[in-house]
Amino acid sequence: MSSIAQYLLNGLMQGTIYGLVAIGFTIFFGVMNVIKFSHGDVLTFGAFGGLVATWLSIALGLPIWLELGLVILVAVAASAAIGALIARSLVLPLKDAPPLNMLLMTMMVGTAIRECIRLFFPNGTNPQKFPELLPSGGAEMSGVYLRYDGLILIVSGIAFIFAIQWIINRTRLGLAIRAVAEDGETARTMGINFTLTVAIAFAIGSMTAGFGGALFGLYYSEINYGMGLILAVIGFSAAIIGGLGNIWGAIIGGYLFAGLQTAVVATLPSLSDYKNVVAFIIVIALITWRPTGLLAERGSERV
Amino acid sequence: MSGHAAPPAKDTSLLMASGLSVKFGGLLALNALDIEVKRGEILGLIGPNGSGKTTFFNVISGIYSASSGNVVLDGQDTTTLRPQQIAAHGLARTFQRSRLCLSLSVFDNLMLGAVRRLNSGLWYNLVRRGQLAADIGSAAKEARELLAIFNPQLADKLWQPAISLGMIDRRRLEICRALIGRPKLVLLDEPSAGMTHDETNQLMSEILEVRRGLGGLTIVMVEHEMGLIERATDRCVVLNYGKKICEGKYSQVAADPQVREAYLGKS
Amino acid sequence: MSFLSANGAGGPELFSSQVGSRMSFLSMKGKGGQILSSVLVAACVACSLVAVLDIEDQRALGICIAVIAGVAFALSKLGIVQAAEQAGVHHPWAVRCIIVAAFAGVLLVLRENNFALLMSATILIYATVCLGLTIQTGFTGLFNFAGAAFLGTGGYTAAMLANVTWLPDIIVILSGGLIAAALGTILILPVLRTRGHYAALATLAFGILFYGFLEANELLGGPQGLKVPGITILGWDFANEPTLGGISFSFYANYVVLIGAIFAVFMIFTRFVERSWIGIWLDAVRLDETAASVFGLRVSLWKSFAFTTGNFLAGVMGAVYAKMTAFIAPANFTFGDSLTLVSIVLLGGIGNRWGVLIATMIVVLLPEKLQFIQEYRLLLFSCVIIGLLFVRPGGLLARRVRVFGGQ
Repeated sequence: MSSIAQYLLNGLMQGTIYGLVAIGFTIFFGVMNVIKFSHGDVLTFGAFGGLVATWLSIALGLPIWLELGLVILVAVAASAAIGALIARSLVLPLKDAPPLNMLLMTMMVGTAIRECIRLFFPNGTNPQKFPELLPSGGAEMSGVYLRYDGLILIVSGIAFIFAIQWIINRTRLGLAIRAVAEDGETARTMGINFTLTVAIAFAIGSMTAGFGGALFGLYYSEINYGMGLILAVIGFSAAIIGGLGNIWGAIIGGYLFAGLQTAVVATLPSLSDYKNVVAFIIVIALITWRPTGLLAERGSERV
Repeated sequence: MSGHAAPPAKDTSLLMASGLSVKFGGLLALNALDIEVKRGEILGLIGPNGSGKTTFFNVISGIYSASSGNVVLDGQDTTTLRPQQIAAHGLARTFQRSRLCLSLSVFDNLMLGAVRRLNSGLWYNLVRRGQLAADIGSAAKEARELLAIFNPQLADKLWQPAISLGMIDRRRLEICRALIGRPKLVLLDEPSAGMTHDETNQLMSEILEVRRGLGGLTIVMVEHEMGLIERATDRCVVLNYGKKICEGKYSQVAADPQVREAYLGKS
Repeated sequence: MSFLSANGAGGPELFSSQVGSRMSFLSMKGKGGQILSSVLVAACVACSLVAVLDIEDQRALGICIAVIAGVAFALSKLGIVQAAEQAGVHHPWAVRCIIVAAFAGVLLVLRENNFALLMSATILIYATVCLGLTIQTGFTGLFNFAGAAFLGTGGYTAAMLANVTWLPDIIVILSGGLIAAALGTILILPVLRTRGHYAALATLAFGILFYGFLEANELLGGPQGLKVPGITILGWDFANEPTLGGISFSFYANYVVLIGAIFAVFMIFTRFVERSWIGIWLDAVRLDETAASVFGLRVSLWKSFAFTTGNFLAGVMGAVYAKMTAFIAPANFTFGDSLTLVSIVLLGGIGNRWGVLIATMIVVLLPEKLQFIQEYRLLLFSCVIIGLLFVRPGGLLARRVRVFGGQ
């Protein structure tokens, strides 16, 4: 019984992280019809930023709760900054190029970020230890052991998702972003600053990755330079399954993918090495059956 | 290249749209349209912007699906057919926004219009190279002749990329692309857009000449230039907000108060 | 779409042909000029290849590469490269003879250098796979981020069929292609979708799935890989050293000749595809499939043709590669490798067969030979490609407008 709860907790944690990554993909696609494949490596960048923040905090002798706050802040800020930078200097200039060029470019940007971390971060090729900043231990509940840190992270992850969702759907900034996503030209004529709005949208999308990176580090206590790639592919899959451009779809897609992985590991433990294989087979099957996603796809392209 | 055999004219109606409606989400773009296109006529399709003319073309050529109603082309129900199948029944069209493959040559663009007349078999294309070369030669000859009707200089540019053509030549190329497949019904979507009065008149004369040469082609033409409609069409249909509000000869339609109101608003 | 889009043909280019012909004092337009140009270009490529492969000293190599780049730039500005391309279009048989001669020359010079021959064979293998990718992406506009997976499929097929000893190697190699093509059909439905990113995801997912499966599966050797026997054709074992007129070659020469022949066949195949009605249909699918469908073009059919053909080529070359290196392991077939293949196609000039060969040479050779950048090669490569996409998205050799016959 406790193992099922453990699987469930793990799955929820994974799903939250995947969902955060997928939200970014879906925002980028919605706003600019771009699959920004460097998103996973932006997450890694944020995670490593958070790591640096812990070193700094320890050096300054800051209390744990402040250290925690700083980690999250730096991870989010670092990702947002690099995400906005990529948008401004690399994505926007190429927006009229053929989609293959844009996709290849973002893939290469991701590779570049990954390699820079590997080469220039101290001891970059090896996994880095992430500090234990959350209360360890857990609670017994009807024979099931629930980790405190897992619960806290899941709750905060979901809270962050809701915060993003609120920004997009309930603020004027979000309205501007949605307007640009709907029809960039018209939004411009309505007085919306296209470039700035796009940059902010990309920053927001990248923030979610940064938060996801911090969650990842705090939960698994370890990060490495290559973690972004598989997260990017999973996040991309989740966003497509949910319907590109649809934020709720991205979130559902993320939990769905995690659910698939958990199902494989839980029911067929001998096949746990194959969990990604099975999950991706199902992804391919899903996009074959329902190509526009489980919820509708919404992009800014005219047929 | 193989051509079409002339179909026996069983009845006078080539295209019949009945109760045709198209919905986009909440918007009713076409509202229970009944439009008949008689064999051999030139029908004008007019109406203010956004009245559904291009949508109508998109539905009958298979790009959009009808929400209700049906379309019968030359005795065949084409309502649910895919664009390729509709093309097989003899429909060709031009587009409102120029849709040429700009990085391909004039010849390549024209041949796209003739795709159904050409042999796409792998053995023929990859092994029977001599036969292919001969067919390309005769295709080039036919292409030059067709282009020359519109503009002799255009025929000389057969191997230039389409992007090197001026706007009017591009329009001519699009029209030739629609005609080279020897269709029964051609839809022209604003063929004279962006042209001067004289250029429009010239274009129409060229289209009429080709039509004579092909033995009386049926044309439906969306246009905003009323002079062109008046001069070239046998009949007109007027759309407004996706509904047909008037039909008849241009002179009748131009005098109709409903039509005036649609264009000019209530006075 | 901007003039400088990857499919640019008549648009302005950095190495303008107009400027070239005005500057050139040799008349490059006539048949003689074109043939002469192709001799010159072939000779330069052959010498560059030999030089880069032979030179060990890093500094000398650096100078050599700089000289090669300079010569290439000069040839381009003088219009010689363009004239050579025209020769390829209008006088194919002359050009083929020239290339065979250059190939033979390179083989002769490098006959004892195992490393050089292995590299040459590898270049030709990757170039052929990229020809397949050119048909998929360059002509038809399909996204394929699983090129390495299909390459690996061919290799693993060869490894598996090693147990069936009575099967002739030619059949084994072809089977590699057939299995890869068959596996590709699993992905066909997402690939047929209008929006490219579905094909991108499907092929991405497939690539990762493929790698994950091979790593986990012990039956197929797991991460350690499998041994693969070498090629024997018509009784001639490729492990033997061939001799020609008293001159002996390293046994790798067997592979270089075989792969060279396969490459030549597929070069001609790609040319035939491009210069036929099918070539027009594939381009139409890439450029405007809605308009194409309205005129009656069977878009799904041609997408399937392109996708399957490209995967077949990858599978064939995968089988040959596995047999040549006598070994196969999942580590060679990662997403990064698929990405490299796509980059080669873009670097060469999307849709240009000759560009594919040149780009493959650059991408395969430079990281291998330039030892001092070994650690940074992936970072440098990604930066170069990013730069390319901004500065010269048309690639090294732009694709020319298709002109049939001698018109």
